[in-house]
Order: sequence, then structure tokens, then C-alpha cells
Amino acid sequence: MTHSIPLTLDINGSPHTLSVEPRVTLLDALREQLQLTGTKKGCDQGQCGACTVLVDGRRVLSCLTLAVQAEGCEITTIEGIAGENGDLHPVQAAFLEHDAFQCGYCTPGQILSAVACIREGHAGSDAEIREYMSGNLCRCGAYNTIVGAVRQAAEASR
Amino acid sequence: MTLIEPRKHGDASDGSLGSRLSRLDGRRKITGSATYALEQPVENLVHAVLVQSTIASGRVVSVDKAAAEALPGVLMVLTPDKVFNMMVASDWFGNRVENVPYLPLPAEVNYYGQAVAAVIAETFEQARDAARLVKVHYEETPAVTVIDQGGSGTVTAPMTVEWGDAQAAFDTADITIEAEYRTPREYHVPIEPHGLIASWQDDQLTIWEPSQWTHGMARTYAEWFEIPFENVRIISPFIGGGFGSKGGAYFYGAVAALAARELARPVKLAVTRSQGFTAYGGRASTRQTLKLGASADGVLQAVIHRGANETSTYADFHEGTGAATPIMYAVNNFSSQQGLIKVNTVTPGALRAPGKNPSAYGIECAIDELSYAVGIDPLEIRLRNYADHDYQSGKPWSTRKLREALLAGAERFGWSNRSAAPRSMRDGRTLIGWGIGCGTFPNLTNSSDAMIRILSDGSVEVESAGIDMGQGTYTIVAQTAADALGVSVDRVDVKLGDSVSAGAPVAGGSMLAGSITGAVHKAAQAAREELIGLALNAPNSPFSTSGANTLVIENGRIKTSREDSPSMSIGELMAMLGREKLEVKRDTLPEGTTREEQQKAFTHMSKVRGPTAGEFSIHSWGAHFIEVRVDEDFGTVRVSRIVSAFDCGRLYNPKLAESQLRGGIIMGIGQALLEEGLVDARNGRVVNNNLGDYLVPTNADVPPIEILSVGEPDFEASVLGGKGVGEVGIVGVAPAIANAVFHATGKRVRDLPITLEKLI
Repeated sequence: MTHSIPLTLDINGSPHTLSVEPRVTLLDALREQLQLTGTKKGCDQGQCGACTVLVDGRRVLSCLTLAVQAEGCEITTIEGIAGENGDLHPVQAAFLEHDAFQCGYCTPGQILSAVACIREGHAGSDAEIREYMSGNLCRCGAYNTIVGAVRQAAEASR
Repeated sequence: MTLIEPRKHGDASDGSLGSRLSRLDGRRKITGSATYALEQPVENLVHAVLVQSTIASGRVVSVDKAAAEALPGVLMVLTPDKVFNMMVASDWFGNRVENVPYLPLPAEVNYYGQAVAAVIAETFEQARDAARLVKVHYEETPAVTVIDQGGSGTVTAPMTVEWGDAQAAFDTADITIEAEYRTPREYHVPIEPHGLIASWQDDQLTIWEPSQWTHGMARTYAEWFEIPFENVRIISPFIGGGFGSKGGAYFYGAVAALAARELARPVKLAVTRSQGFTAYGGRASTRQTLKLGASADGVLQAVIHRGANETSTYADFHEGTGAATPIMYAVNNFSSQQGLIKVNTVTPGALRAPGKNPSAYGIECAIDELSYAVGIDPLEIRLRNYADHDYQSGKPWSTRKLREALLAGAERFGWSNRSAAPRSMRDGRTLIGWGIGCGTFPNLTNSSDAMIRILSDGSVEVESAGIDMGQGTYTIVAQTAADALGVSVDRVDVKLGDSVSAGAPVAGGSMLAGSITGAVHKAAQAAREELIGLALNAPNSPFSTSGANTLVIENGRIKTSREDSPSMSIGELMAMLGREKLEVKRDTLPEGTTREEQQKAFTHMSKVRGPTAGEFSIHSWGAHFIEVRVDEDFGTVRVSRIVSAFDCGRLYNPKLAESQLRGGIIMGIGQALLEEGLVDARNGRVVNNNLGDYLVPTNADVPPIEILSVGEPDFEASVLGGKGVGEVGIVGVAPAIANAVFHATGKRVRDLPITLEKLI
């Protein structure tokens, strides 16, 4: 169990080389080894959505994904969605404008989930947004403004 | 108290206090660059994982740690038989039992899920897997695992409230109701789990830990390790939600700090999600009986309240079910008692609106029951019994816009269209119900200290040990400083959450915003006066020939009040003076406060002033109007519409205050319909100790929530006129939903949460 495996992960468009034990989750590899701490650990058992990242464009719970499973995939984390010039992604900008968060801890997961939700075509109505954003818990209770932010970003993307 | 009228009003987003400025720490949170405690990059870090007990009562006889220690990377296994030189710290109010050793991993087991060992290893995975191999042997003793096994409890005499002759008035009342209301254990479950990184350098201890109260927690660590307060530094710039659970240092902090000292390496200890259900206390389960007596036209004659909550076998925690009861309505005969029932549980703690929350659930359901017994509208009965002053203290309210909240909420909700009879509103197979619940939270006040630093480029830094866990402290502090100094808010940088900074009280009891803005306002005004004095008196001052004896600062420029005045920026003044920085520190403690008393004010609760400490009774108020839709066949309840009106005094930033109020309301939806710690009565285990089984509201559970503010500045409550926002939002939500469910279905559910099996 303790032997490490060399690995190259494609994260936010850049290759990252690391060495991990097979039991290391993608979440812990990001946070503990690569210092990509924007991805959050909320429950470590796939129930809260805080660790949501995009793997090949699909939303994935990085706490239920082993790091070794992600080799060869394109991984996108919260650190990778703003423009290179620092321009916010439309979903990020909408979250700020709508005050779609308080403590900010579930926020990276919410934003990545929202990006995918819009891309999936699941942001057609408030009811649909609420349903398809329900895998991401927010204990501060920013749900109303999350819906508003996703709606605005979805409309802007059409 | 000097009162300065706010420069601007309204809901513009120009940055002034009272405007809807977006969260200043927002950009860091949406880009992933806000660094929370466990994300601090620290060299040479090792990882600790806790092992929790699997019995509710007894003692650890032995711990077999050989298998764990044999795993690669394992550095240490801490067990109860290893004694460290630590001392019990003082409680929140400053009381300390001297010279009692502190045992963070005691052999005596008082509840299922109590930590009995900890494994420290080079990596998280090594520590986690080794922790599973630790075998603990116990000697088990009988336990009381749930409140109903604990008997009638012991009445806490100081919490008894009496006036008039409640029993006599109840006995002769035209109409009476009597009912018992119950709430289960509830949990904070902030999305950021608890934990910390502890690091020693000689006798200096640095702790990165999410903290609602850096000064209070630093004091605890200092007392545990018997080192000076100044030797402990708590760093907590971002907190991933607290709701009352991150206000104190817990045993696991001691474990991490101990391990770090023993190993001479920094230790990260992450409490797992499941461990969090017993690593610190949630809200105690409660039960309360209310007897209301009224005249035939619904005027209250008597309130008799008997409540109790569970506490642990080793400490008392009061969840005051009578906390709101005495101040909600006008009544001349009142009696309330609160009891404690000892159970083998972790000691319960403060969860959003402690006391007021279950208390309002009781009285606001009871008043609704009374309205049906009398045959008048639930809105009307609240107006008919409106308290024009505080009947408990006899004092006048400072401000109480609860009537305005009720009327504005009713108007906006369309309450007058309600059909009175239960089960009389429906949409096909869906029953519709409308309910009201009122809420309150007392205005607690404490002093703060604040540092204002004017830098050479004219920009401003504000420093405080106070924290922002999402309430918006960063933003309203910047707005306060900008207003008082006369600079634009984007020139202000706020640094929070570091115990070495100027002192601040706990971010709890809704007391931080009023306290911290008062000190920042005072310091910023003093800095402004100092800048003006320097500008007038500097050699080569452009104002020396103006004849002005004072100056103004507007948008960062210093000038006289005349149209044709010369002007200079603050940065130009600093350059002219050759100053790198100008520091001004001010606190709101009484004049002549000693250094020792100052320290107490920020590290203990003993200086907190309650709502009736002065000549007024000061509280925040709210009224919730809630629609539920109940599936008649399946008993499922959906909240479909909420209008809530609040009197929280002046809102420093309505955009952020509305978010906080909505957050409280949503937690109230969870409390009403979802949240319940389920305890296995055989062994005291919390069986649903995870977010898949302990249900909190998801996005799909939450309808649009409309927030109305009917408050006006209350300068008895705080320097700048605000009352508390964070706690009051949840208070009254659960009874509003319970009352709406009764209106929809005709079934009165008196034990939360209202789940479908109770309706079919």
C-alpha cells in the first residue's frame, strides 16, 4: 500500500508530475501535494459536493476519485476557470454580483457544478437549476442567489 | 457617545455604509485563492487522525496500538495512559479551577464518539489507515442515551421567570390550551469541517484554525499550556461556516498542539465529517410544555412554561426553551422554568440563536393553537397581544418594529386572501397552508479595539482580530472606515482573523458587527482628525493661508469647505510630511480601563452586556410568512413561498444582510422538515452522522425567499445604529412552517422535524 506511483495529471491545461500512493484521492492529491487548495474537502464521502471538479468536462467528486484514475484526463479546478488575464469566468462574475455565497467554502464546487450544469443544458428554468444544483450543499444558505447567478450566466451564454 | 449621521443613505452600490456593495473578500472566494485553515502551506507537516469511543459510558482499560504503530510512516499513537503537563482552562466567563490537569484524551468515557486515541503519521493516508487498527478495550457502565431515559431533570432556579399569578389566571381563563413541543438534536455541519494546524517554535504556538473568536481561543490554548497569551497566535482569515461551533478551542486542538510539541513538527488534525457529530456539541434536544390562558376575545391572561433540555453527564449547557417566551406578548401573569436532563452525550453547544430558537418554536406554535381555539386569525392574535414594552424587565423597548414587520409581511404575502379553516386551500391533490412565526434575538454588546493605518500612498489598512465567516465583516468594516475617513472603499484593505491584532469579541450572539464597526468608526474618525491637523499645521501647507481652522476629507482629498479651496490627496500629504504610515488605534472600552480588564473584555464573555443592561430592552425582531404545499397522499411537505420582514435596526450592507437572513431562514427550513440527530438508544451512537443521512436543505428544498427590512437606526443598540442580523433569521421559521402545515392538513405536529410519517 505504501509504494508510490509516478503520475502526470493534466490540470487546468498544464501537466503536473507527482508521486502518489494508489490510495490517495484526487482531492487529497490536489490539496496536499499540489497546493491547489481551491478544491474543498467538506465530507470526504461524496455527500456535499464541495470537492467538485471537472474531469473531461464532466462534474466529478474528487473525494471519490483516486488520483491515479484521473491520469490522461483533462482536470479543471476553480483555479483554472478564470481567463489568463484574470478576467472572471461569467459564472464567477455572476456569483460575485448576486452574493451567491457567504463563507465561500462550498463555492468552488458550486461554481464548477454551475459551469457544467449550464453546459449540460440543465439551466433552462429556476426549477431545473435548483434540481441540477442540488448535489452541492451550502450550509450558509445562498441557494436563492446561486439560482440567480446560474440563471444569469446561462442566459449570457445563449 | 458621539453620533455622526451617515453620509449617504439608500441602496446604491457606491460603497458607503448602508449600500449594497458586493462582498470585498468575494473575489478570493470565487477564484479559490481564499486560504482556509487547513490549507496553510506549512513545511515538514505531519497528520493526526482521531479514534473515537464505541461505548457511551465506562472507561478505557487498555489500548492495543501495536498494529497501528507497525505501519510505515506512523510516528506516534496518543492514548489515555500518556499524561501530558496541561492544565484545565477557564470557561467562557473567566472562571477557572486552578491546578487541575487537563486530559484531552481521558480514560473515562462519557459518550459514544468521544476521542480516546490519536494517530500521527507522515501522511494523511498513513494516519487514517493506522487509526483503523487501534484496538480499544473498555469497561462499560450503564448509560442514559436519550432524553426520555433521563427522568424529569433538575430545574435551574436562576432561569426561572415569574410575575403575576400565572396559575390562578390560567385556572380562571375563558379559553386555555396546553401542549408539549419537542425538538431533536441538531447539528451545525458547516461545510468546512473542524480541524487545525498547530506549530511550535520554542514556546511560541501558532494555530491555524477556523475561529469565530481568535482572542478567546488563544486564551484557552495559553491556559492549557501555561504560556503567556502573547505566545499563542490564532490565524483565521477565512472560516468555512461556524454557526456557533467554532467559537471555542476543543480537545482536538490540544491533541494537535501536544503532538506538535512532542514531535517538534507541525501537526495537521482534520476532524472528519462523521467525527464532527461528537467532537463538539450541536443543539441539545429539548421539550417544553406551554399552557396559555386567554379571554374569550383572545387576550392573553396567563403563560405557564416548563421546559428542559438534555446536557452531558459532565457539564451543564442550557438551551433556554424559555428564552423568547417572556418577551413576545403582553401578559400580566407569567411563569417559566427550565430544567436540565443529563444524558451520555458530548456537551451540547451554541447553534444559531441558542435558546431563542426552540423557545420561539414553542410560544409561536402555542399562540397559533390559541388563535384557532379562540377563532381569530393568527395575525390578529399577535396584534391583539402586542407587547408595547418588555413585560419581563418592565423596560421600554429601544425599538421594536415587530408590528410593522407583521403588517408589511402580511401585505406582501397576501395574507388577507387566506381562507381560515384548515384543509380549505388546495391545488388538486396538494393541500396548501399558510403560517406565521415571529422571532427575536437579544442585542448583546461588547467592546472592540481597532487599528487604522494610513499608508504613504494614501491607502488605508484596518486591522482587527475579529473574523468573517461569511457574515460580511470584511466588507462592512471597509465601508465603515471609508465613510468615517472620507475615502473611497476601494482604498481600504481590511485584515481580520489574527489574534495578534486589535481585540474583538466573539462572532456570536450577533454581537460582532455592532461592536467592530463602533471601534473602526472611532479609530477612523480619530485618524481623520489627525490627518486634518497635520494638513493644517504642516510646513508649506496649502491651507496655511486659507484661514480655515478645520478641513474636510472627501473622496480621499483634503480641502476646506469652500468651493475654490486648494486640495491635496492623503497620499500627497503623507509625501509632504515624509511619513511612511500613520497609525491610530482606538477601542470602545470605558475610559480608564486597565490593560488587564481590556484583555478580559476580548478573551472572556464576562464583559458582554445583555439586552436590558441599560434603561431599554433591545432586541432584533422578525416575522415570517410561509406557504407550504403538502401532498395529501404521501405527506411530503414542500415550502413554496416565504416572505420575512425584520427589524434589525440599520443594515450596514443590505445585500449581505439579506443573504445572512436568508441563510438563517433556510437553516430553519431544515430544522422544521429535515434535521434530526438519530441516536441509537442501545449505545448512544448518532447513527446518521454524515451529510447523506443527517439531511440539511438542498437547493431544491428552498423556494424564493423575500426579505423586507422595516428597521430604523437604533443608537441604543450600537454606535452606528444596527442591531444583530445573524441569529434572528432562523428564529420563528420552524413554528411558521409547523403552523402552515397545520393550516394545510389539520394535523398539529408538535415534534420536529415534520416528516411525512407524522402526516399520513
